[in-house]
Amino acid sequence: MSLPVVRFSDERLANGLRLIVAEDHLAPVVAVNIWYNVGSKNEVPGKTGFAHLFEHIMFQGSRHVAKSQHFALVQAAGGTLNGTTWLDRTNYYETLPSNQLELALWLEADRLGTLLDALSQENLDNQREVVKNEKRSSYDNRPYGSWAEKLQAHLYPEGHPYHHPTIGSMEDLDAASLDDVADFFRTWYAPDNAVLAIVGDVETGLARASVKRYFGRLQRRTVVPPIGDLSLPPILGEERREVVEDRVQLPRIFFGFRAPAFGDPRFEALEVGMQILAGGKGSRLHRRLVRDERIAQDVTAFPLGFVGGASMAAGWATVRPGIAVERVETAFLEELARLGAERVSDDELVRARALIETEELGALQRVEERADRLAMDATLFDEPGRINTMLERYLGVSAEQIREVSEAVFRPDNRVVLTYLPTTVAAPVAATAEPVA
Amino acid sequence: MTESTVISTRPIPGHPHPYAFPAFERQALANGLTVVRCDLPGRPLVSATLVIRNGAADEPAEVAGATVLAARGLSEGTERFDAIALVEAAERLGASLHADAGWDASTAAVEVPATRLEPALELLAELVAQPTFPAAEVERLRDERLNDLLQARADPRRRVDEAFADAIYAPDSPYHRPAGGLRETVEPLDRSVLAETFRRGLDPARLTLIVGGDLDGLELIPVVERLFGGWIRSAEAAAAGPIVDRPAAGGARVRLVDRPGSVQTEIRVGHVGVPRAVPDYHAIAVLSAILGGLFNSRLNLKLREEKGYTYGAGAGFDFRRAAGPFSARAAVNTEVTAAALADLLAELERIREAPVTDAELSAARDFLVGVFPLRFETPGPVVGALGGLVVHDLPDDELVHFRERIEAVSAADILSSARRRIDVEGARIVLVGDAARVAGDLEGAGFGPLEVVRDDVLAGGPAGATPG
Repeated sequence: MSLPVVRFSDERLANGLRLIVAEDHLAPVVAVNIWYNVGSKNEVPGKTGFAHLFEHIMFQGSRHVAKSQHFALVQAAGGTLNGTTWLDRTNYYETLPSNQLELALWLEADRLGTLLDALSQENLDNQREVVKNEKRSSYDNRPYGSWAEKLQAHLYPEGHPYHHPTIGSMEDLDAASLDDVADFFRTWYAPDNAVLAIVGDVETGLARASVKRYFGRLQRRTVVPPIGDLSLPPILGEERREVVEDRVQLPRIFFGFRAPAFGDPRFEALEVGMQILAGGKGSRLHRRLVRDERIAQDVTAFPLGFVGGASMAAGWATVRPGIAVERVETAFLEELARLGAERVSDDELVRARALIETEELGALQRVEERADRLAMDATLFDEPGRINTMLERYLGVSAEQIREVSEAVFRPDNRVVLTYLPTTVAAPVAATAEPVA
Repeated sequence: MTESTVISTRPIPGHPHPYAFPAFERQALANGLTVVRCDLPGRPLVSATLVIRNGAADEPAEVAGATVLAARGLSEGTERFDAIALVEAAERLGASLHADAGWDASTAAVEVPATRLEPALELLAELVAQPTFPAAEVERLRDERLNDLLQARADPRRRVDEAFADAIYAPDSPYHRPAGGLRETVEPLDRSVLAETFRRGLDPARLTLIVGGDLDGLELIPVVERLFGGWIRSAEAAAAGPIVDRPAAGGARVRLVDRPGSVQTEIRVGHVGVPRAVPDYHAIAVLSAILGGLFNSRLNLKLREEKGYTYGAGAGFDFRRAAGPFSARAAVNTEVTAAALADLLAELERIREAPVTDAELSAARDFLVGVFPLRFETPGPVVGALGGLVVHDLPDDELVHFRERIEAVSAADILSSARRRIDVEGARIVLVGDAARVAGDLEGAGFGPLEVVRDDVLAGGPAGATPG
């Protein structure tokens, strides 16, 4: 079986905007995805969470678009949309009926060209509160919600651009000013710091003409400030441990490791290896910890790819009641070590490859995902054609390459272990409903 | 930045390219099992789902949770294969094999490249025809469910949904409890109960196999005939009876589950809603979009975009075979709990008081109509929607007519549905938050009698004995 090849055009407008168009007329839909080469790694001390807060401001209107109208217009056109911020980038996307392509282009161009015209203290204050509630919902008020922030803080040293989480801190969010927003916009949001991908039921020439019409007169203006030094040793150099008391019922152990950068072939070998380790019910960790020994309620492990310095390999196991936490940690770490000591079997590799193939096929069948991949591959690797070679790269990973990268990554002096334990405060005695007044 | 860098006028859309919900064929095998075949050219990842019209709502209260556990137990072993052999066989095909149950039905499903559909269907048939529910694996699944119930206590979102269902439904309604059952009903479940529960639904006349994707050159019917045609009705098969969906009687209007130190309060407001089979289904869909579905819904605009109280507020009807819940929902920062709740209730009142505006009406209708082709771009959602037709006994042309029925909804229809289907007086208010910080405000705001529930986190003790 082979994946359908994605054929695309790839060019730059005179102002530097990179445009990628891929036609697909199977369904009358089109996906627009614009990636800006800025993420939380570009934030400076005291202004964490800013790239993400800014993403929210991008939905608060621009010169010709009133507050909340961006969402309103796209949804009324029968479209779906959102924006996301991550360590290495920020993106905005719309998927619409194909006759509505120009609406998305107009909206994206208007906010890229004229966002500051609509910026107000009221909107900033409002979205600051929304983002603080996002932080509460997604992290602070959620069981085990601080794990990612803690792993980042341990794996990347103070001052490293990956040290802090994308959501930022409450203090820094509180301190964000209108000037900060304007500065951030002028620094990072420019056509020559963006990639625009369009995938779906469109004609390439017409799409190109539309993009030129809406984006063509925006000014190139990026003088990108130097980013903090992303380089760091491939190995943490010590084991770091933290015990966290949290409002949870079952203990959970989180593991984090520095890993090869996203784009490095060794990262792909790690992805395949972690599929064998933890991808589904046939995987080694699930089979041993959940099914055979029955010491874990659930288990997972996965790589998170970052382009600079080092990626992260992370995982966790939730400890069953009555089981010693140490026993689960030992079993988990033994499986990681085994992956680095012995080659995986042919059958494990065959199964992992078949699953990855299906996963790629599933992801790429949607125009939205194809647009996202094309924009990502162009933004992070300057190589949009990766979309057509990824499967080959995964299928080419050998058992020895998996062993090698696992041996290099899953070392005791490269790991962080977070042990979440139920808070030890005395629980109320009765489970009762009591009327108040 | 000069005036001329952007185009000031919003573009006018061209004509939409034609779209129709994909055609499908329905065929009954001699034993009564129905096959639905939906050819989707250019979609090589095929989705196949066997819908068994026997869900958690159909099980006796004393074995609550058995249907969900039985569905999950299907992949734990068959007469020919143990669980590991099954999962490995599926993985070699690049197939994800999945069985689960909800309120209305149990499903066994597989997603697989079209070239390997036949061996994947063989595995699917094996699961459903020959499950053995090995005692040791059933015990493990049961313990996992008991642990999951413990974890749900610690998660404010799961806790509030559970408390809300408990508050609005009468104790003899299955919807009063989680579909996965409660500690006291899950603890005694064993392999014989699961086998019996599963066989109760095993009547080919209640089974439909739906296959969607690029089926070009595939002789589906002979394959299905070979794999599923020999099944006969289980002697224990029982027809589904009526589902009790009675509302709870009595109880304080406001129930607050105390979670000391909580930085947010989870809010649910609502009551028993309506079943899927209501005449004003399409009006309710537009109403829900305006009230709490669209990003610019009244609730989200007020609570998020105006007040900043929440990351998102919404509302909607959960359409089931019997009357599922209607709820409005938000998680708000602790300090604003009473103020946010007042705003939320005011929006529920307002939608019942006056017709929605023309702008609201067209935005919601245009969204629901326009997003339809996006929803059904790939086989999975198409097969899912066809499964919905089966579960709810809807006619084959239901989806074909969806968009025109949405177009026909008027502001008067919405007002009528809002008045008929949303009851603010009778709504229950259920919250999970820090009682020490919010109870006083809630009482002072006059929402009605308040009861505070304090969870004993240690109640019942942990599940799963230590294996040495």
